[in-house]
Amino acid sequence: MIDYLVTVLTEGSIFAIMALGLNIIWGWSGDFDLAFYGYVALGAYMTLALTIGPATPPTTYILGLSLPFPIAVAIAIVSAMLLALIVGAIALRHLRGIYFSIVTLGAVYVLYIFTGQFVPLFNGYNGLSGLFDPMGDFFGLDFSSYSFFYLGLCVVVLIGVLLLVTRLNGSRFGVALRSLREDERAAAAFGRDIYVMKLKAYVLGAGLGGLGGALFAGYLSAFNPSAWSPVETIILYAAILVGGRGSTRGVVLGVAVMVMGLQEATRYLPEIANQPSFAPALRLILTGIILVLFIRFRPQGILPERRLRDQDPAGKGDAAVVETAVTGPTLDTGAA
Amino acid sequence: MHEALLTLGFGLVAAAILSLSALAFTLEYSVTNVANLSHGEILTVGAYCAYLVQQHGGGVILSGLAAATGGGLLALAVHNGVVDRFVRKGIGGLPTFIATLGVSLVIQNVLVIIFGASNLGYTVPQSAPRTIGPFLWTDTEIQIMVSAVVITALLYVIIVHTRFGKSLRAVSQNRSLARVSGINANRVAALTWLLAGLIGGYAGFILAESVGTFSPYSGFSFFLITLTAAVAGGLGRAVGTLVGGIIVGIALEFFGGYLSASYNLAFAFAILSLVILVRPRGLFVGGRRSVFE
Repeated sequence: MIDYLVTVLTEGSIFAIMALGLNIIWGWSGDFDLAFYGYVALGAYMTLALTIGPATPPTTYILGLSLPFPIAVAIAIVSAMLLALIVGAIALRHLRGIYFSIVTLGAVYVLYIFTGQFVPLFNGYNGLSGLFDPMGDFFGLDFSSYSFFYLGLCVVVLIGVLLLVTRLNGSRFGVALRSLREDERAAAAFGRDIYVMKLKAYVLGAGLGGLGGALFAGYLSAFNPSAWSPVETIILYAAILVGGRGSTRGVVLGVAVMVMGLQEATRYLPEIANQPSFAPALRLILTGIILVLFIRFRPQGILPERRLRDQDPAGKGDAAVVETAVTGPTLDTGAA
Repeated sequence: MHEALLTLGFGLVAAAILSLSALAFTLEYSVTNVANLSHGEILTVGAYCAYLVQQHGGGVILSGLAAATGGGLLALAVHNGVVDRFVRKGIGGLPTFIATLGVSLVIQNVLVIIFGASNLGYTVPQSAPRTIGPFLWTDTEIQIMVSAVVITALLYVIIVHTRFGKSLRAVSQNRSLARVSGINANRVAALTWLLAGLIGGYAGFILAESVGTFSPYSGFSFFLITLTAAVAGGLGRAVGTLVGGIIVGIALEFFGGYLSASYNLAFAFAILSLVILVRPRGLFVGGRRSVFE
């Protein structure tokens, strides 16, 4: 029972980190990015490729440097951010709405097919494996105590991310981001460089995605293309939408409900003969239905984003400017 | 030269399937302004309906009809159950787009539960390829191309020469204006989706015939190529989409034949991204590009 709880909480923390990253892109900046799981995957792949030893035939992959876990995670985050910089620089320049989504969907599919087909990169469809209990030896942990250690690590990182996100939320940057989510033209009229701000948000969100991916790699000890079919992105979106788009508390709640809750609710279903995929399929069906119902009936989610208060009554600060523009999250951003 | 002509022959088959799928997608888009991410599932359901009929001894014609019926009913259900409600409530294009992604997830996994996630195949006896001019086609491939041409011609007649087609064009140009002119826009939109579903379902059947196998996910992968063709031709524009489908279909076949078939989808998306970035309104429209596209 305890082991089970540890598993659920570890997965939940990792998914919460990813969802908070995606929330910067979709919740604040307003871009429906379908490439997000690509950054998660790159973070996971890089972590594995950097921590495991050199490739031995028949497996082939790049790097294989046997670096310590924390250094590998740092490099993994930077790689994810670099990739996001490239994709974002192209896609955010002129595209909004569904055109942006379609191009990012294209980007993630190209990436997905490329990692699967181009074996020298990350060993193709077989993927990478062999990262067992990162930092376990360093702290002298045995198998039974290790899972507690890793849960602790994930929770500490999650708390760090929460602090960062909360701080950003009230910052000039966070407020300005949401102003251009609400009305890009108005924000541009107030002198915002929309492209640079959206790109910053995009890269930052992808960095959190990479961090989530890195922790996920340490948790799974292996990663391959079947672990990151683009469907996973929809699950993160469902979590954000259910919890409350743009709201940090909401996103954490959304992950608890959609990732942990739904997983557990369908875990005890009776096993159906010849149907090993029944429970996962049912979970995705429920995810889809919940997604549709929430967009239709409660687009602001369970814990909606708080309306911003005027923090500068003199009317000189950014918040005062935004006060009139931000009227709570609406789903439709950009002309579709 | 001979090899190039052979590849062109296969490209025409691919183009026929792709054009039908892209036409259906663009019809859906034209009347509701919603890019339907569950379009691929119309194809998938069509393929499964045809499979069921074949299992019970139906021939090719019966299977094709079943595929079209299944696709049509599904498209109508998606329109009336989700898209229309969203459009009427004034929920914008992007949220509805996200909702159709949810619908796609639901349909795919319902199919996984019913039929399993593994690949299925039709038991159509493959005839020996015939030599027709410089091309080499099997009977199935000829059936695919002839039926695609016939369907496209029928569609052209419907859109250009019937009263319904006139209403369709009116709704696609300006829904509100069409309504004040006495057109029942919701009914026209529903019928258009039904029509698109009929075409899409049949496209799913011929896609599965041509590939040989299909799974609950094959429609979605093909949808990604469909999107390339539709966007290249200009979203919501039937003739442009048709040309886009033919060009993309042939280009992909040449790419697959001469370079690498496994990167086909990646190549399609490279085309798509280029087109969106350079000419977001489609290849054949001389429009300016706008930041808020």
